[in-house]
Amino acid sequence: MSDLIEEYDQDAPSAPSKRSGPRPSTTIGWQRLLGLMAATLAIWLFIDSTTLQHNAQVSPVGIRRTIALDLLGPVAALSRVTQVSHLESWANGALGRNGNGSGGGESLTIIMPPVQKRTTTGHPPIHPAITTIPPNSMQNPTATDPLRVLLIGDSLGIDLGDALQNRLAATGVVVAALDAKESTGLTRPDYFNWPAELTSALPKVNPQVIVVMMGANDPQAIPGPPGISYGAAAWDVAYRHRAVSFMRLATSEGASLIWVSLPPMQEAALNAKVQHVNDLQRSAAAKVPKVIYIESNQVIAAPGGGFSAFVTKDGQNINVRTPDGIHISPSGSNVLAASVIHTMRKQLDIPVP
Amino acid sequence: MLFPTIDFALFFLAAFALCWVLSPFPTPWKLAVLGLSYFFYGWWEPKFVLLLVAETAIAHVGARMITRARDDRTARLWKIAAVGSLLGILGYFKYAGFFAVSIDNVARSVGLGNLIPLIQPTLPLAISFFTFMAISYVIDVARDELDPASPIDLAVYLAFFPHLIAGPIVRGSELLPQIRRRRDEKHIDYSRAIHLIVRGLFKKVVISSFLATAIVDPVFVSPSGHSALDVLFGIWGYAIQIYCDFSGYTDIAIGLALLLGIKFPVNFDAPYSAVSLQDFWRRWHITLSRWLRDYLYIPLGGNRGSEGEIARNILLTMILGGLWHGAAWTFLAWGTLHGVGQVVGHRRREARVAAGKPPQTTGLIAHIGHVVWTFQFVCLAWVFFRATSFTNAFEVLGRLFSGWGSPTTLVTPLVILAIVAVLAVQQLPGVLGARLAAWWSHQHLALQASLLALVLLGVTTLGPTGVAPFIYYRF
Repeated sequence: MSDLIEEYDQDAPSAPSKRSGPRPSTTIGWQRLLGLMAATLAIWLFIDSTTLQHNAQVSPVGIRRTIALDLLGPVAALSRVTQVSHLESWANGALGRNGNGSGGGESLTIIMPPVQKRTTTGHPPIHPAITTIPPNSMQNPTATDPLRVLLIGDSLGIDLGDALQNRLAATGVVVAALDAKESTGLTRPDYFNWPAELTSALPKVNPQVIVVMMGANDPQAIPGPPGISYGAAAWDVAYRHRAVSFMRLATSEGASLIWVSLPPMQEAALNAKVQHVNDLQRSAAAKVPKVIYIESNQVIAAPGGGFSAFVTKDGQNINVRTPDGIHISPSGSNVLAASVIHTMRKQLDIPVP
Repeated sequence: MLFPTIDFALFFLAAFALCWVLSPFPTPWKLAVLGLSYFFYGWWEPKFVLLLVAETAIAHVGARMITRARDDRTARLWKIAAVGSLLGILGYFKYAGFFAVSIDNVARSVGLGNLIPLIQPTLPLAISFFTFMAISYVIDVARDELDPASPIDLAVYLAFFPHLIAGPIVRGSELLPQIRRRRDEKHIDYSRAIHLIVRGLFKKVVISSFLATAIVDPVFVSPSGHSALDVLFGIWGYAIQIYCDFSGYTDIAIGLALLLGIKFPVNFDAPYSAVSLQDFWRRWHITLSRWLRDYLYIPLGGNRGSEGEIARNILLTMILGGLWHGAAWTFLAWGTLHGVGQVVGHRRREARVAAGKPPQTTGLIAHIGHVVWTFQFVCLAWVFFRATSFTNAFEVLGRLFSGWGSPTTLVTPLVILAIVAVLAVQQLPGVLGARLAAWWSHQHLALQASLLALVLLGVTTLGPTGVAPFIYYRF
């Protein structure tokens, strides 16, 4: 550092990097530059309009979405009529993408248990491309015949899933697949269709246990027609119905489902909504066999179940939440993951190390 | 509001027009820039605009009182009060929770029970950046290196939206004169600006996002589930990811400012071509390096004094530089590693010079060896920077030894290409992009717009759906 300090070359504000090479000296007046930027934006909106329209469609219901859709609708229609949208389709096709992220197995990552040495007799690597995996007894998982677990969720589910996936993989007898996507839930299948995603993931993973944590994004209007506003009685009916259907789909192939409730939120208004979603999910879980409902507010919350950034364990404070008052910290995720594994042991009788 | 979003593109188009229309009128221009910058910051969390205003007020009052002080002692007291207040705000939001928990844990372990309330304040976006700029302003005024600015000039300096969220950490002497004088509305260096913006978008949206999802996140989330080779490439991948993420942001910030007629200092200069840690810190986050040098290292004594004192000053500076990134033991470890590495490097160079040798071995092979060694050391330190805890960091490092023989699933040709390409580009003179930009700028305006739109389409197509926030947003 001292040499750095002695020799440091104090660049003038305009000094280019030593590596920037010949600096183009082309300049332009602001009006022409404004025209250039506006034209660029207009052309880009035109050729990329179908993706932008899709992004607007899946954004939260509100005035921003309405304006974006009103503006992009005619542009996208013109782009399609003039075949310009094919440029974007071609580019996405060349990359093997479907052009939107609305579910279909794209977000699935599978973690194998650690294997010290390659063996010819070991279980073949489980890969998304494999569609059929022979079942085993989940009461006796081994490195060559591991327990298969599928973890599902939104950003909170990712918090839990990351910790759970690592802990399960470290056991050496569990294949843990994480299928999670931020800002998703059951309210907006137009943005991300979880039933379609689960239908796609089930044959790839063939899970014996599925762990789900999602719902914090769900307190919003269900788009129509006919749209249903959050807070209406019809919303509760529709949401509970979706939750029941999703739970039935998850358990349809024989897997046990562990549904982890959302933790309390710091902000009172958001917390009220999240607790309402929890109530609906809890009542849905009671209707579906093979569903175990875990209350996260008994693990990463204040003793009374309210929000707390810290819990005390073994005489030490553990920071269980991130500063946004919404998400779960890595330490909190570890505590919650331990609770889920405890449930696997006690209620599903799985001898997870 | 993230740079690579359509919301920001529309905001900037309006901001650009407004700023240049008002450019001939100094006060309306400043008010417009200030309003736009507060709007930009408040888009995330409006209430924290008040914090920005409060820090501006503290810096202004402090600087004014320093210049009006009748004697050095009074000026010094005002400086301490202003800098202390700014550090107090930063400390509360960034470190209070961390220290409260640490103290409480110690108290519990010795049977004292719960001594202090545990808190976890919401961290205001970019507080480290604008607080450091405010501190530098107060100290520069106290040192007579800068004249006090008017309240509006100071507010624009601290809040100017291109640098507000993640730097560069611009000095008052660099930005305030540009705020005061009229910008040349007929000669905007647009080819360089557009080149920087496109380069930054590509680094952030394409390379950084790709490496994060393809290898880095899986490896750091579950090191035990991946092979040693996966983990090794995951660590290298993180070095590339954070470089593309942060320097990408800086490129865009410098480009946007240029379009508004403002020049920012360089913040990155091919850091992975560094031949030593000393060289690395000349090239990585340059504006933070010089801040630490001028406002921390030199006041600590710098390189005056015994070897032990120099080593202490280097270590303290790097440790505090690590803690600047956040309140976590892993950041402290990252800073300590860099500090120890620099002390060792310093001693080694001193010994060579004393023996009548050049500070570093020369020759092509030696140069390559220095670059490779420096990069690997930096990568080792990045493990602690990226890890969520010491346990996580040692899991990652341990897997480098225990994971041989496990199937490698994440090291794909595209991952190797992304890592190698970014590293290779840093070893070469950066002329290609500048030449392309120069060629582009000589085309007809319609062709320029069409080509640029195609580049944007390429970036959005190659990038993921939705853009993750920049890593340095949380600092």
